[in-house]
Amino acid sequence: MFAKYKSMGLSHKKNMVGYAFISPFLLGFFLFFLRPLIQSIIFSFNDLTVTPEGLQYEFIGWEHYSYSFLVDPEFRQILIQSIVDMLTNVPIIIIFSFFAATLLNQSFKGRFLARAIFFLPVILASGIIGQIEQNDAILQMMKNPADDAANLGLMTFDIEDLLRNSRVPPQFAEYVILAIDRIYQVINDSGVQILIFLAGLQSIPSSLFEAAKVEGATAWEGFWKITFPMVSPLILVNMIYSIIDSFTKSDNELMEFIHNKAFVLANFGYASALSWIYMGVIVGMLIVIGLFYRKRVFYHE
Amino acid sequence: MAQKHARGVFGNLSNLVFLLLMAGIFMFPLVFIIARAFMPLDELLRFPPLFFPRNPTFQNFVDLANLMAGSWVPFGRYIFNTVFITVVGSFGHIMVASLAAYVLAKHKFPGATAMFTIVIFSLMFAPQVTMIPNYLILTRLRFIDTYWALIIPAFALPIGLFLMKQFMEQLHDSLLESAKIDGANELTIFMVIAMPMVKPAWLTLMIISVQQMWNMDGRSYIFTEQYKMLPIAFQQIVQGGIARTGPAAVNVLVMLIVPLTVFLINQARMVETMATSGLKE
Repeated sequence: MFAKYKSMGLSHKKNMVGYAFISPFLLGFFLFFLRPLIQSIIFSFNDLTVTPEGLQYEFIGWEHYSYSFLVDPEFRQILIQSIVDMLTNVPIIIIFSFFAATLLNQSFKGRFLARAIFFLPVILASGIIGQIEQNDAILQMMKNPADDAANLGLMTFDIEDLLRNSRVPPQFAEYVILAIDRIYQVINDSGVQILIFLAGLQSIPSSLFEAAKVEGATAWEGFWKITFPMVSPLILVNMIYSIIDSFTKSDNELMEFIHNKAFVLANFGYASALSWIYMGVIVGMLIVIGLFYRKRVFYHE
Repeated sequence: MAQKHARGVFGNLSNLVFLLLMAGIFMFPLVFIIARAFMPLDELLRFPPLFFPRNPTFQNFVDLANLMAGSWVPFGRYIFNTVFITVVGSFGHIMVASLAAYVLAKHKFPGATAMFTIVIFSLMFAPQVTMIPNYLILTRLRFIDTYWALIIPAFALPIGLFLMKQFMEQLHDSLLESAKIDGANELTIFMVIAMPMVKPAWLTLMIISVQQMWNMDGRSYIFTEQYKMLPIAFQQIVQGGIARTGPAAVNVLVMLIVPLTVFLINQARMVETMATSGLKE
């Protein structure tokens, strides 16, 4: 970078600017995220009881952690289930949202409308609308997962037959069937990813495409040689976002499990321990993906 | 040449079919919500549900207006509360996140990478678990039962920093440097050069942020009726029971309008940016 051209004094000054710009964020971040996070570590090693004088701590060491893996009958199973869900959903979400964003970025009549429509699920998925709908008996009945499966099942069935009878490897066929079953869920979860990709596509300088065109590149070549490398950092961003989103949205089974432990059974220490295990798993997974992906990302300079 | 042209037509057609199909799936819930807002109560309660109202009526809107007029806290108060926290919260979130993202991406000062890593990790934590410690801190700051309990934590949401940093990284060092040589100070560079160039990014962030803030109900932090948010007010209306199904259907529609409008405006402006920001290379 260009820091090496500057004298020591200047680079010191530059650091000061850096700290000054970041301090509002850090202050808030420390107060509302980091401190609570650290406090939850303490919670996870204690048995908490609420007394009139406030929270009562009783130190029990690693007991919550060992209990979750060795004794709790549900936790391991739910944990594995949500990891499997994530591994199947995230690739579909990334491919779908990239594809959708590329289409939506082209100029065609009604593009404006099309984009608005693609963002609808994000707005519709927000908490308050769900809560209002909860009061609506009919909507509740419709939301019943069994019905949902029945609706989509009709569609899946034919394709399933087709795939089974063709000579595709069975694992691949299974994956495709799974993917079709999840179409609705995937669409619902890709709104923000589409937006991020769109914003990325918009920031590609059009001069690159013009130059390529002058040199005689086709649209296909332009896509793989310009568009794809230019948005490749955002694929990583979206991957991280999708993984986090799939792990932390409130209808995730494990999140419900933790919420239940914390606020229904009032076992706050145990819930904190579960969250830390869960976070450990997610972090581990992101590190693996990050290492794998880092070498393949292209940074335009 | 002719062959190429033919492929183009086919490509356009398949794009169109795909988009129409997707649009159908995406539109379904919205059309459903709009249609339900105009259904009389007997149609709302029919099973299997009707898709289009047979006797469309404005009665639900009238009922909702009456309920709103009858609430003991003037309804405008709820609207003001929600608009206020949405505007201040989103603006603060974007500014704080962008400032931090700018220096993280473009001033590699000591500790920058470590800070960003911690931010990423914090994104992954189950929010339920930080709720109680968070409450303790907000109590100590005396923010409980004020707007600040919702606004100030929103300033430091890590998602904004995460998103903005990726886009800030794509800014050209040469451009920032030449501004500096021309005598601009860091704040000017940030406001006049960096921010306009990543406009698509913060317009996107604004959409996400407004959508979150607008739907925030804040029930765990706000107890005084006068400070409560619109979602809570609507929930109170809806809790009147099955007879309130009509106004509830309108509520859903009303809650949708603001995030949807912000989205439409920002998307339109995003396209503009693309056309006007000539300076890139």
